[in-house]
Amino acid sequence: MASQKIRVGIPRALLYYKFFPMWTTFFEEIGAKVIVSPKTNKILKDVAVSIAPDEDCYSTKLYFGHVMALKDKVDYLFIPRFSSGGFGKGHEKNVSCPKFIGLAEVLRSVFPDLPEIIMPYFSTAKNNHGKMKFLKYCFSIGSKFTKNPFKIRTAIKKALRNQKEHYQHIQINVDELKKWERSEIVLNETPNLEEGDAPLKVAIIGHSYVLNDPYQSIGIMNKLTIHGVDYITSEQMPRQLIERQMDYLESNMYFEYEREIIGTVMHFLESKTIDRILHLIIFSCGPDSIGGELASRFSRRKPEIPLLQLVIDEHTGTAGTNTRIEAFIDMLRRRKNIKEKEEKIKIRRKIECL
Amino acid sequence: MPITFPHFGSLTYVFEILLRELGQNDLIVPDKPSKRTAELGTRYSPEFVCTPFKITLGTFIESLERGATVLGMGGCNAYCRFGYYWPVQKLILEDLGYDFRFIPIDYEDPIAILRTLKKESDGYNYLKVFRALQITWVKNRFTDLVDKLLNKYRAIESIKGTTDRVAKKAFRTIVETKGMLNIRRLKKTLPKMFEKEIEIDKSLDPLKIAIIGEIYVVFEPALNVDVHRRLNDLGVIVETPASLRRFIDIGYKLNPFLKLHREVSVKIAQPYLEYRCGGEAQESIGDTIYYKRKGWDGMVHLYPFTCMPEIISRSILPQISKEYDMPVLSLVVDEQTGAAGFQTRLEAFIDLLYRKREKDKERKITKKSTKQNVTIQSVYGG
Repeated sequence: MASQKIRVGIPRALLYYKFFPMWTTFFEEIGAKVIVSPKTNKILKDVAVSIAPDEDCYSTKLYFGHVMALKDKVDYLFIPRFSSGGFGKGHEKNVSCPKFIGLAEVLRSVFPDLPEIIMPYFSTAKNNHGKMKFLKYCFSIGSKFTKNPFKIRTAIKKALRNQKEHYQHIQINVDELKKWERSEIVLNETPNLEEGDAPLKVAIIGHSYVLNDPYQSIGIMNKLTIHGVDYITSEQMPRQLIERQMDYLESNMYFEYEREIIGTVMHFLESKTIDRILHLIIFSCGPDSIGGELASRFSRRKPEIPLLQLVIDEHTGTAGTNTRIEAFIDMLRRRKNIKEKEEKIKIRRKIECL
Repeated sequence: MPITFPHFGSLTYVFEILLRELGQNDLIVPDKPSKRTAELGTRYSPEFVCTPFKITLGTFIESLERGATVLGMGGCNAYCRFGYYWPVQKLILEDLGYDFRFIPIDYEDPIAILRTLKKESDGYNYLKVFRALQITWVKNRFTDLVDKLLNKYRAIESIKGTTDRVAKKAFRTIVETKGMLNIRRLKKTLPKMFEKEIEIDKSLDPLKIAIIGEIYVVFEPALNVDVHRRLNDLGVIVETPASLRRFIDIGYKLNPFLKLHREVSVKIAQPYLEYRCGGEAQESIGDTIYYKRKGWDGMVHLYPFTCMPEIISRSILPQISKEYDMPVLSLVVDEQTGAAGFQTRLEAFIDLLYRKREKDKERKITKKSTKQNVTIQSVYGG
């Protein structure tokens, strides 16, 4: 029986990292076999870079590679044309990168021999799609796999619940953030520390498809942990803090996922509770070119927390990044030592005064 | 308080008209972007932001040096980066130490346009502001018309340079004409002016090429290395379907009998790119099919480096080019684009088009003759 199941392929890139619980559960529940492309590796990257349009950003190029990896193994490809999602305040205005909308059609046009692409278009911003439209899409997709509407209904319910749980699992609340700042809890991997050393606090910010893909982010998280850094990612930041920071901006930041990035930078520049911010930028990413400039201009105005921006593309080598990261961490340690020394001197002076 | 705005090809006249109609006569009309403008803009811009950002920033810096204090700029809440140009440019210019104020105009929403214009006008009420906007959009129709005539007559004129002179005169007439009746009369007088004053070479059978792509690149001759003139000099009639009127021409929008060209081309583009994704992505695709149906010879597709929506259309255009047998030349433009490289590619493209046209003609003739042969054979039975 298992071999008769219809196979649906989901490329492990871009929005997959945001919505994978919803997508995989939905397709599995309606009786399809979900095949996710393998994790990004060197071969996949080489294929991707050679076939993708030259001007696309690195992440989009990788998407092409993931689709190629799936091409011959599946009956359907699931590439939603996603503009903006979520229900509630703010979503009626904000959109995401236009490439997400065009991606499915570009793939269909560049490679006519692809299996059939399931490409629902969803936008709460410009087309006022609501819950009804969402259900309609779910049912029209579901009817390709099963004739039982109740099965689809339970699938939708389960998918949404899983997605919600995923969000709750990732995003922390304000209390947890404060605990993390005081080094009471560890959010990600435990930093590799010698006894007595305090961990360095670093915020790593970037798009979710960069942070969650070790190949794209050149394994930066791992390297930092080995060097004794306790990090938080922009994905984990509490939404309410980000939304509050967004109100300080002069104009509405309408790129949905760029809000996270700028909001995190602005929050930490204001609260000054960490040692450094590390911004991972993908080369020729449109929203990042704006967001990165905003972040760097803001940090120049509030220079207490340094900001390091790393631009990543397909030619980025590991050796170069290693050197930069080591230098980055050495500098952090020195900065911290100097600060501690200064404080000690201050205290000593106070004692002398007594 | 001198007001300035970015240089935007022939639309510079439109912005000038709008501000003059609003009673703002203290204007600093921006200079045509030069090498220095691009250099200034690039020096202070983010690394891989699209080229229009750099050029407009450079223009603003030059205008601020000339004494401007108020900068007018479009802003929107759409898919493209353009809506976030002004907040970033503001930060950059502030860091450079200039004293200024931005007027962002949300051009996607007609009511927001009116509201902003009222605030910036010389104490006008809404009716007067609307009237000013109306004059602007009607005049915008004529600047589009002059552009079209210019790009047509320049290719077939017998004495080089006359069309440019006439076009310049025509633009100034549009700016200076007052009163709605007089303005409406321009619809007839402008084409007559071109017809009368320019001698054309009637023996020519020129190629026809449409230039599509991102609106700023298509309109700004300083950025696109003056593609229109280059093609005209090669003896090709050129047309640009892109227009600012899709945002400001409320008259066309309200009139049920008229349709903006954009609506037509977006509808044609539906099977290939169903939903709007910012910029002129859908229009570029739709126009390619539209001009093929009209019987034109080829398309030149221009877009700035790292433009998000145009990369989408650029990736889909090869398929359309193949399906509809319509040659498309896609060209990336940025501040480092060299004129010589452009010229060579355009010349090669046009050579190809001439050859294609001859081949098509031959094919038609052979088709006809084979048909005749068949009929003759059928008559004589053998």
